[in-house]
Amino acid sequence: MLSNIFRGGIHIPNPYPVKNPKIVKVPPPEKAVLILQQKVGGQAKPCVEVGDKVLTGQVIAGTSSQYCVPIHASISGTISAIDKQPIPHPSGIDAMCITIESDGKDKWVEKEECGADFLSCKPEQIIDKIRSAGIVGMGGAGFPTHIKVSSVKNANTLVVNATECEPGIMCDDSLMQNYPREIIRGTEILLHACSAKKAIIAIEDDKQEAFNSLLMYNHNDKITIQRIPTKYTSGADKLLIKSLLDVEVPAGKHPSDIGVLCHNVGTVKAIHDAVIDGRPLVSRIVTVTGSGVEDPKNYEARLGTSFASVVSQSKPNKQKHKIRMGGMMMGVDVNSDQYSICKITNCIFINNFEPEPQVNECIRCSSCNQVCPINLLPQQLYWSSKSESIDKALEYNLDNCIECGCCSYVCPSNIPLVDYFVFAKAVNKKQINDAERADIARQRFEYREFRIERNMSERAEMMAKKKKALKEKMAKEKQQKDKIADAIQRVSKSKENKDA
Amino acid sequence: MLDSILIFSILTLILGLILGYAAIKFRIEGNPLVNQIDKILPQTQCGQCNYPGCRPYAEALAKGEAQINQCPPGGQDGADELADLLGVEQIPLNTEHGETKEPMVAVVDEQVCIGCTLCIQACPVDAFVGSSKVMTTVIAKECTGCELCIPVCPVDCIDMVEIQPTLGTYIPNIKDIAHA
Ligand code: SF4
Ligand code: SF4
Ligand code: SF4
Repeated sequence: MLSNIFRGGIHIPNPYPVKNPKIVKVPPPEKAVLILQQKVGGQAKPCVEVGDKVLTGQVIAGTSSQYCVPIHASISGTISAIDKQPIPHPSGIDAMCITIESDGKDKWVEKEECGADFLSCKPEQIIDKIRSAGIVGMGGAGFPTHIKVSSVKNANTLVVNATECEPGIMCDDSLMQNYPREIIRGTEILLHACSAKKAIIAIEDDKQEAFNSLLMYNHNDKITIQRIPTKYTSGADKLLIKSLLDVEVPAGKHPSDIGVLCHNVGTVKAIHDAVIDGRPLVSRIVTVTGSGVEDPKNYEARLGTSFASVVSQSKPNKQKHKIRMGGMMMGVDVNSDQYSICKITNCIFINNFEPEPQVNECIRCSSCNQVCPINLLPQQLYWSSKSESIDKALEYNLDNCIECGCCSYVCPSNIPLVDYFVFAKAVNKKQINDAERADIARQRFEYREFRIERNMSERAEMMAKKKKALKEKMAKEKQQKDKIADAIQRVSKSKENKDA
Repeated sequence: MLDSILIFSILTLILGLILGYAAIKFRIEGNPLVNQIDKILPQTQCGQCNYPGCRPYAEALAKGEAQINQCPPGGQDGADELADLLGVEQIPLNTEHGETKEPMVAVVDEQVCIGCTLCIQACPVDAFVGSSKVMTTVIAKECTGCELCIPVCPVDCIDMVEIQPTLGTYIPNIKDIAHA
């Protein structure tokens, strides 16, 4: 077991453990709503039209930029709409979605697979497979996986993050118990693609079953399965790397900058499916849990399935519910169960409605400072974020906050600290954006002034030249005239002389 | 005696050269105060301050010829920041110059545009693309929302629209957080 685990963080036992780790397959839905915008990267461009017939796994929206991933039909049927729909996001902003009405057949497109012989594929081919399967970080970050794999410089270690990012979420645990072979295979594929020398699968010590299953299938001596103490935020990339390898990822840098590649197990399974089976990302494992359901469980659901149709299988009670996408710490509250499951929906919390606890003034107890796993000073950050002194907050390393919510969790005054930090970060982003825009405008304005002045001086120069040429011409003409006059005079003079 | 005179002369010469070099190498382009003021101004280039752009206004401010409260796009915050920089009293924005509005961009109705290019000439930041007799459009990323193109269009086909927040630019409301 590891000793150099980070300071801070909190222990929260899983409040609603599942009784049965089996993954329940939810049948393909009647209607699938697929979001074109992922958490990172541009919006995918639809390449189908309303009324088109599509097959499961068919690309329905292509990439618009390097960071963008394609979207695949998650059921077969007819495209019924391409428009803006409400999505599970705190802003309540509608986003472009493609809606498919099922034909009930779930007929797949022809799959193009690499097969089991992935070692004969070049790393670039594998990375391209990952991109065209539409894979993004499945742990919740949603970062495009092909970018992560191809950007790593001199990879030395591959870390597979099997720590279950937050208490309450169980999708990774059940994934490992149900698909250990695929996960080991996926890890081997990634090792081949990034040419790292070793891989570490990091798993929390409370997941004995999952650990055993992985151990049973691992026959590769490049892959080690490492148990780490169960403590919240140990799954954060940088902290995990610190505890596993005892190296620090500098602030503002990515693990890939120090040759470490870090992927969630869910992503690794998706990579396996894409490379070995040629199956694009059209479904994912979702945990449904919380005080409002009788039977917390893990489901495998097609992307675009509504929350409600998955939740209904977990026997929700009749009370009023508070719904949250993602974990109890880092998730977002949503106001309806009609949203659809997207690539980063790892968990749906259904909690019985309870009034929000009373928020009080900060009593300067410093509890928040003690739990912050990044060693920030949330109390100071709170004051500066609340007063919108973003510069001050940046001095207290606002940038480094991983929005884990430990500070909010322990605050005896119930201050939603992390919400303030999310706010301050958004304001900071806007300030940077505005400054960039202003710089562009300044440059363009100055260039225009310069251009107008240049045009004017060029014109003036041209005019001066023309004038000069005219003058010269006139002078020449005058000379000519003078000469002629001279000659006439001379002639008449000589005539006179002759006459005389 | 002679030695010391010689040493000091050489030393003076060397230091003089270094200073001279530094003066050229590290010369600050333009007037530093004007640059500092220009940095605070929003660069909308709308001319509401009665100067033909932000930089001319900055120059006038530096010379003490203008008031700090003439820029509506910069808002009260901008005016206060100018007051801090120039070490003068904070004063409320002068509404005679216009009101502070939400950020906007110009949109051309491409069906109506006749390609007269008057807007291209009016735009202070060259945000229009097009040429005579073909339809014109605005590069939204470069438009500052100055509205100078609105009055020049003979067929009224340019509209100002508010910039909508996107998933990437969304800022939570701090009041909601406080009452959570
Ligand atoms: S949310 Fe940010 S400040 Fe609070 S404990 Fe986590 S990292 Fe520290
Ligand atoms: S935990 Fe809450 S009350 Fe205590 S110092 Fe931090 S913000 Fe203040
Ligand atoms: S009023 Fe318009 S032109 Fe004048 S400084 Fe402000 S943004 Fe610039």
